[in-house]
Amino acid sequence: MPLLINQTVVTDEWVRLDADQLEANPELPEGKVIVPFTYFLANQDALAAREALGVCVNGDDDIVALREQQQRFAVIAIDFPVLRDGRGFSIARYLARDGFKGQIRAVGDVSRDRLGYMDSCGFTAYELPEDRFTPEDVAAFTEMSVNYQGSVADPRPIFRR
Amino acid sequence: MGESFMYQYNEVDQKLVDERVEQYRDQTRRFLAGELPEDEFLALRLMNGLYIQRQAPMLRVAIPYGLMSSLQLRKLAHIARTYDRGYGHITTRTNIQYNWPKLEEVPDILAELAEVQMHAIQTSGNCIRNTTTDPYSGVSANELEDPRPYCEIIRQWSTMHPEFAYLPRKFKIAVTGGPEDRAASQVHDIGLHLVKNEAGEIGFEVLVGGGLGRTPVVGKVVKSFLPKQHLLSYLDAILRVYNMNGRRDNKYKARIKILVNALGVEEFSRLVEEEWAFSRDGELTLTEAEIERSKSFFKPFDYDADAANDTTLDEKLAADKSFAAWYERNTVEHKQAGYRIVVLSLKPYLKAPGDITDAQMDLVADLADRYSFGEIRSTHDQNLVLADVKKSDLYALWQVADSADLARANVGTLTDMICCPGFDFCALANAKTLNIADQINEKFDDLDYLYDLGKINLNMSGCINACGHHHVGDIGILGVDKKGEDWYQITLGGSSKEDARLGKILGKAVAADQVADTLEKILAVYLEQRQEEESFADAYQRLGIEPFKERVYAAAH
Ligand code: HEM
Ligand code: SF4
Repeated sequence: MPLLINQTVVTDEWVRLDADQLEANPELPEGKVIVPFTYFLANQDALAAREALGVCVNGDDDIVALREQQQRFAVIAIDFPVLRDGRGFSIARYLARDGFKGQIRAVGDVSRDRLGYMDSCGFTAYELPEDRFTPEDVAAFTEMSVNYQGSVADPRPIFRR
Repeated sequence: MGESFMYQYNEVDQKLVDERVEQYRDQTRRFLAGELPEDEFLALRLMNGLYIQRQAPMLRVAIPYGLMSSLQLRKLAHIARTYDRGYGHITTRTNIQYNWPKLEEVPDILAELAEVQMHAIQTSGNCIRNTTTDPYSGVSANELEDPRPYCEIIRQWSTMHPEFAYLPRKFKIAVTGGPEDRAASQVHDIGLHLVKNEAGEIGFEVLVGGGLGRTPVVGKVVKSFLPKQHLLSYLDAILRVYNMNGRRDNKYKARIKILVNALGVEEFSRLVEEEWAFSRDGELTLTEAEIERSKSFFKPFDYDADAANDTTLDEKLAADKSFAAWYERNTVEHKQAGYRIVVLSLKPYLKAPGDITDAQMDLVADLADRYSFGEIRSTHDQNLVLADVKKSDLYALWQVADSADLARANVGTLTDMICCPGFDFCALANAKTLNIADQINEKFDDLDYLYDLGKINLNMSGCINACGHHHVGDIGILGVDKKGEDWYQITLGGSSKEDARLGKILGKAVAADQVADTLEKILAVYLEQRQEEESFADAYQRLGIEPFKERVYAAAH
């Protein structure tokens, strides 16, 4: 799965495990892992010693709890379970507003035509399905150069610029 | 004539619509090349106003807060002529719909629209839709302030909002500037009313959670006074609370009204306040300069002070009865002496309510240039308005409008109905509406009878999605399907005005050929029992539904 950071395909240093994988194979690998936020909540003690830890959330998770603990994570992956579910955009905004310094990664139903909006909302990394990605897709970040509202990078709405 | 006082798009606005056209052109190309899955293109094309309907695609073009220039209207005429079948349909949210565009040609249509700074951005889809307002904004005598500068501020903020493009469901905002509500604001997801507080400052009363559709609800006040500089930060807070908490498991329960009802308005407003604490006084706070800048686009026109001295109007009114009837029904008091607001009726005899041909559009554009500072407005009840016409020009204007079938003197009467396209065009419909509209027109063509009935709103929808606002008509008609036949359920006593309320169902549905006869019985009860000047709405409130019910269903035996 290509991972885009700064509009470039990079090697993913992280291993992302979902609940099914963790159930089938409870032993966590060494190194950089991203686990479901619910898994993190249930296994906080066991995970306490890990330095590099990422979690994956979606709109059904306890976002208040996530925001309270966010500084603990190097990566927060936000899952878009289906195209229609736009909660991830707001979750990214919360994290950025709360000063989260790690990577905010979009996973799940992520595709070219939403990259621009995701970027404005504070996402910094994108996992795209192999079959839905071509290198030209990075044009999506710049095809709309105008925004009225401001973005995480420049929160000033147009009338303050 | 004269300079335009509409919002003038600057390079940034122009660039946005131009880039959006190219972006959409590429999306269409990738879809047609099989690179973009159907469901994804669906969301993208909806956000660009393109539905796929019974006959063909349907393209909804935005008319921001119902205001357009003659140049823009001529472009809409050109599009109707070139890419469609020579007409368009004005919607209750003051946009225009084309029923026959070709999917492949839509990018070209959008490119043409962009030449006059028009677009179809967010005219459908689960995003913030076109903000609507009072069609008499800026010219009605009792308004507190012109709401359009705020509509323009909301337009900018909501256009291509990155965070709120995949909401649980569509989101509609309406703004009013005074005590009268001609924008159905209380049946919008957010209704904003300009109000004055005790200290004499102007701000907004904020209502949330109104809406029609299968669960009709009147909006509830979440904030009785919002200082105006906080407009955007407060909207932002409401939208974020909705985006995070609105239901996503069932699209029929996804509108904000369901969330507000489920939480209760106190809890909902508590969540909004909590969220607002983060953004209040932040970057979204409106600056005085921004409010002034926006206001500068909607300054009053250079009215002719001499207009008040006109005597010709009275002569014409005395001499021409048809003109006098039109003047009485289709023109409205203007705040400036010597001027009137003119409503051009898009409800001619036996034609689809709200439809307008390319030739009519061109003609209205000409009339606007000649008599009304080049500006046209579209209304919630699917008519057009020329807002600033000198009394001395009315007769000439009327003659031209009349020759083009735009001056039927029925504004505000029974045949000035709100009506959705129904089964003839809409894939979701349960029943036809246009044939019923014809039936009603045939039955109630007598103007003296119509005038005697007075002001009355008849609203008709072809299914429970309620695009024709049947719940909030004095009389509502809802098409239902009974074993493959069209039947019609009638409601009475609704209102979308200041006193917004939902109508009550009269009883079991009536057959298609019985609709006009049933209305006649309902109206007979009113005519017999009204007191003096009592309107249908007031008489209904006094009498209740029973006498109407008795008459309609007793006679059926
Ligand atoms: C022909 C294609 C059309 C389709 C497929 C369509 C579809 C829908 C649907 C599904 C809803 C219900 C949404 C909900 O409750 O969440 C709705 C509501 C609405 N439609 Fe349409 N519509 C069409 C045409 C129109 C037209 C022609 C008008 C104006 C005359 C219109 C005005 C509205 C309005 C004002 C609502 C809002 C009701 C509310 O607040 O719940 N629509 N439409
Ligand atoms: S009310 Fe129903 S029939 Fe009428 S336009 Fe809306 S969806 Fe179609």
